[in-house]
Amino acid sequence: MVVVFFFIMIFGMLLIRSFPAMARDPLMIFGSTWDVEAGIFGAAPAIIGTLVSSSIAILFAVPISLAIAVFFTEYAPSQIRTGLSVVIDMLATIPSVIFGIWGLWIVAPLMKTFVQEPISGSLGFIPIFSGPAYGLSLLLASVILTFMIVPIITSISISLLSSTPVELREAMISLGATRWEVVRHVALPFSKLGIFAAVMLALGRALGETMAVTMVIGNSFMWPFSSISIFSPASTLTSKIASELYEAIDPFHVSSLIELGFLLLMITLSVNSLARLIVSRYSQRRYGT
Amino acid sequence: MTTKLETKALSAWFGRKQVLKGISIAFEEREVTALVGPSGCGKSTFIRCLNRMHELNPGGRVDGKVLLDGADIYGMDPMEVRRKIGMVFQKPNPFPNMSISDNVVAGIKLSGEKKKADLEGIAERALKSVGLYEEVKDDLRRSGASLSGGQQQRLCIARALAMEPEVILMDEPTSALDPASTSKIEELIRKLKSEITVIIITHNVSQAARISDKTAFLYLGELIEYGNTKEFFESPKSPITERYITGRFG
Repeated sequence: MVVVFFFIMIFGMLLIRSFPAMARDPLMIFGSTWDVEAGIFGAAPAIIGTLVSSSIAILFAVPISLAIAVFFTEYAPSQIRTGLSVVIDMLATIPSVIFGIWGLWIVAPLMKTFVQEPISGSLGFIPIFSGPAYGLSLLLASVILTFMIVPIITSISISLLSSTPVELREAMISLGATRWEVVRHVALPFSKLGIFAAVMLALGRALGETMAVTMVIGNSFMWPFSSISIFSPASTLTSKIASELYEAIDPFHVSSLIELGFLLLMITLSVNSLARLIVSRYSQRRYGT
Repeated sequence: MTTKLETKALSAWFGRKQVLKGISIAFEEREVTALVGPSGCGKSTFIRCLNRMHELNPGGRVDGKVLLDGADIYGMDPMEVRRKIGMVFQKPNPFPNMSISDNVVAGIKLSGEKKKADLEGIAERALKSVGLYEEVKDDLRRSGASLSGGQQQRLCIARALAMEPEVILMDEPTSALDPASTSKIEELIRKLKSEITVIIITHNVSQAARISDKTAFLYLGELIEYGNTKEFFESPKSPITERYITGRFG
């Protein structure tokens, strides 16, 4: 009850505070120009930046997390297992501002030299890989987000995979299956619904992550309308709000920023509801025959 | 009669605990051999040594020889061994994420058979051989987990048979089933021996008497007595065997 009340309060607050901007021009927020001087507040770059940076992070994180989880549950000797689980837990407790500093000082120059420059040098004719390489970029934000969500997906996947019923494993082994075949045909299918839910949880985290993203994404409000390269600086809903809210004076500016918060909430809510819908549909089909 | 599978001084351990103490026994081709004995006597560990499953347990260790047609299975690829020596478990364990027919051909698919028509033929034959085909033919696409317990167990036998194994190991396959399903499976086992060597663990001595040609009695990790089922029950040589089959312990 308290939670529901709290949620309605937040929802109401966002709606009321963003009302002036919505009332003035309901569609302006989806425009591509954000010009505080001219009083034009179009947030399409931030909306797209949020969706794209999180999607790329998920794209990176899912295979990495599954590989770690499968290695952990099926192949790793017990000594390595203990060490690995400590590392995964530690990674999950690092504050995001630390990830931001690390991304800014260490990952950014490395990425610039070893990833962005070689790729934009060779594959730069493809628009999403075109230069110049700034270091701070959408891709860097995605990489940092990847580091932040890998522990979430990995630790949930590990507990799911290791709860695969031993009878099913043995059934597959007795048919002459290799370890990998047991993973592929028994453990992963058994866990896939839970892994999907873990990925959605991670996506929610990535969409809402503010601090680290604000520090590394470069906060350029041109992307993707100037260049669609993933090596360009960009912005997200969260980075936009975090970097402008405290210095906004114009009431429409403030109200527009709050409207961004409202949009972000809508996005994370719909991701969550969609995930729930898929999980419940699928689990009914699986057990309801 | 020729020997199909034979163990020589087979011992097995869980960590430091020795659960099998030098068992030597020969199983004849196309016969049903029942393994009986009280709980914890090592029956399950014993048959799990015969398809190299025991060594998968943490701390599981095996010593001695297991000869399949004279060749030691501990010198072969374990996956190959398990394709030749199938297994049916105590609790029916169909794959819940697969349909009935996919369950039957799950093992065949692993060994590389991919043609849909061939797989359908194999599934149909295996389901017919366990008498399940008529019961499920209208909807082979539904989940294997949707069947009744007895049907699930016959599905699991069909899954093992689809591999065309030379030997099939059964670990108390009817202990979780009702009497009607049990008698169906017993009938099936009697039928199977025309083609295959069957080694079955049972908790139920009257079941051993009904279905087996030979019976072996294990007690505290040792083979106490082994012989023709009729003689085994009518004139047991060892006093421990006699006490066991007359129900005085176990």
